[in-house]
Amino acid sequence: MSSKEDILNSIKRHTRAQYDMPDLDTLEGIQYPDKTQQFIEISKGVGGDALLLDGDINQLIRTLYPEAKTIASNLPEITIATTNPDNVDDPHSLNGTDLAIVEGEIGVAENGCVWIPQNVKQKVIYFIAEYLVIVLDRNKIVNNMHEAYAKLDLGDKRFGVFISGPSKTADIEQALVVGAHGARGVTVVLR
Amino acid sequence: MSTKHAEAANRFIENKERETWHNETLWFVREKRDRMAMDVPEWEQLRELAGKIKMHTITHLDTYARQFAEKAEANGVIVHWAKDAEEHNEIIFKILTDHGAKKLVKSKSMLAEECELNPYLIKRGIDAVESDLGERILQLKNEPPSHIVLPAIHLTRQQVGKLFEEKLHTEKGNSDPTYLTHAARQHLRNEFLTADASMTGCNFAVADTGEVVVCTNEGNADMGTSLAKLHIVTMGIEKIVPNHKALSIYTRLLARSATGQPTTTYTSHYRKARSEDAEMHIVIVDNGRSEILGNDEHIQALKCIRCGACMNTCPVYRRSGGYSYTYFIPGPIGINLGMLKAPEEYYDNVSACSLCYSCNNVCPVKIDLADQIYRWRQNLDLLGRADKMKKIMSDGMKFLFVHPSLYNAALNVDTVVNHLPRFMIYNGLNDWGKGREMPVFAKESFTSMWKKGKVKKSKK
Repeated sequence: MSSKEDILNSIKRHTRAQYDMPDLDTLEGIQYPDKTQQFIEISKGVGGDALLLDGDINQLIRTLYPEAKTIASNLPEITIATTNPDNVDDPHSLNGTDLAIVEGEIGVAENGCVWIPQNVKQKVIYFIAEYLVIVLDRNKIVNNMHEAYAKLDLGDKRFGVFISGPSKTADIEQALVVGAHGARGVTVVLR
Repeated sequence: MSTKHAEAANRFIENKERETWHNETLWFVREKRDRMAMDVPEWEQLRELAGKIKMHTITHLDTYARQFAEKAEANGVIVHWAKDAEEHNEIIFKILTDHGAKKLVKSKSMLAEECELNPYLIKRGIDAVESDLGERILQLKNEPPSHIVLPAIHLTRQQVGKLFEEKLHTEKGNSDPTYLTHAARQHLRNEFLTADASMTGCNFAVADTGEVVVCTNEGNADMGTSLAKLHIVTMGIEKIVPNHKALSIYTRLLARSATGQPTTTYTSHYRKARSEDAEMHIVIVDNGRSEILGNDEHIQALKCIRCGACMNTCPVYRRSGGYSYTYFIPGPIGINLGMLKAPEEYYDNVSACSLCYSCNNVCPVKIDLADQIYRWRQNLDLLGRADKMKKIMSDGMKFLFVHPSLYNAALNVDTVVNHLPRFMIYNGLNDWGKGREMPVFAKESFTSMWKKGKVKKSKK
């Protein structure tokens, strides 16, 4: 017999009383009077930033990251991009990217998460760039994770990720350090 | 008779300053968790539901495991099943050799620790590199983790600085955490870029989509899996949740309970290999888990989502450190998992609990941690592992309690203790006199006061 059947049989043999699935519809997740304001505040709270776009997006990003030289993006409106990660065959070659500009689909007000279903060919760009800008429609902010999961659909996609703020660690004496492996800074631009 | 835990704890507390730091730092994490919990009005409802969903899932595990594997396979993922640690290690080694992979970059996995995968692979010529900062520090130091979420919590920045000086050639005497973390970033970036394969654990496996969800703050799981063409996931079979709706509850509880953050930086959902020409493998591991399903008294241990909140709150863990426990997972959950693994080997840890029940009250999935520890203790005698001195004392107390005249006589003379010279009270024989002052016995017992009419009802 295969290990699969052995394991499943062992589970069957040892299972005793069975419990019902609780009713999850009784749960009311936290609501915020102003989701956008809450999202901006919590984004700062997790070490990132979020701001409302007012004017030209390329100009805004330039002001935020004046030193960025290699900029990766596949968004048509980003004219300052130097690389399109969709045209890259080997993800390793994206090492050394100063800034990546990507699009998010859902923002979560309770924890600053932005849902990004894989919308570039090389997903490494979400993690390997020194700094990350996520562009998000300000009308797509939901209150909590329940509302977010109810909306998201990975469909045929290979991968999806919630990102909330920059990469961080506190593994040395619990001292918080930003920029462990991923982006050293994250700005969500709400348009 | 002293347990191995007590002996190791004695060594830990020799360094008072370190003990105090450890205690206060973990308590600070517990307080952060409290603030996070209080910010969520429905927190207790989330805990209740999280516990119930897990009980439902693990008691229907054959159905959910089958469903998860089918969905994952439909996504093009190659699914393997491992009955025990040995089979788990063999499978992973075979996948690696089939691909000619020499360097494996790993993100944190307690299951890999459980199976002792690293030594197995390294012995066979695979360069297995840990990529979580804490885990990498310990790997370079050749030490095991002392906490499941904060693996290097027992080390000082100076110790890490010295280690990096030697291994990563950082500046002499520089132990600034930011400097050291960024040095590790550079060092590990190079490892990510040169790895042939990546491995992650699994926080949650979603039955109806076949997805694997991994939560990290550092982004190491994603760096590894976005670059290498081979991704191996190792997961305990109890990690399965039915669907996204259930998952939404756990993603709200995990980081808040673990580190007092509203979420981890990255909550990654892996559905397929990173590209057409890449491969994703999932190894589903039993290693004793299915047997726990038949153990009514301890089945709830399978609900654990490995957040570590029970450790951060535990007064014994905070003051004795992870290395005082003989099982590789310390603290309340580790005491129970160790006993489920091999009671005759890990019984020493059941004494490492004051039955304060704080762990029960913070556990995000409501595991009856302290009740389980209590039950193990009740059964120690069956294992022949009950403390002999305590047995003599409890037999003595039993004799006293069933002979009222003797009990009263003993009460009448107890004040004598107040006048004994110190050396007769504070010596090696009296465990209660170690490290603390004894209470002063009252001059008169309550019974005697009651009989003489000295106890008056308070008048309001």
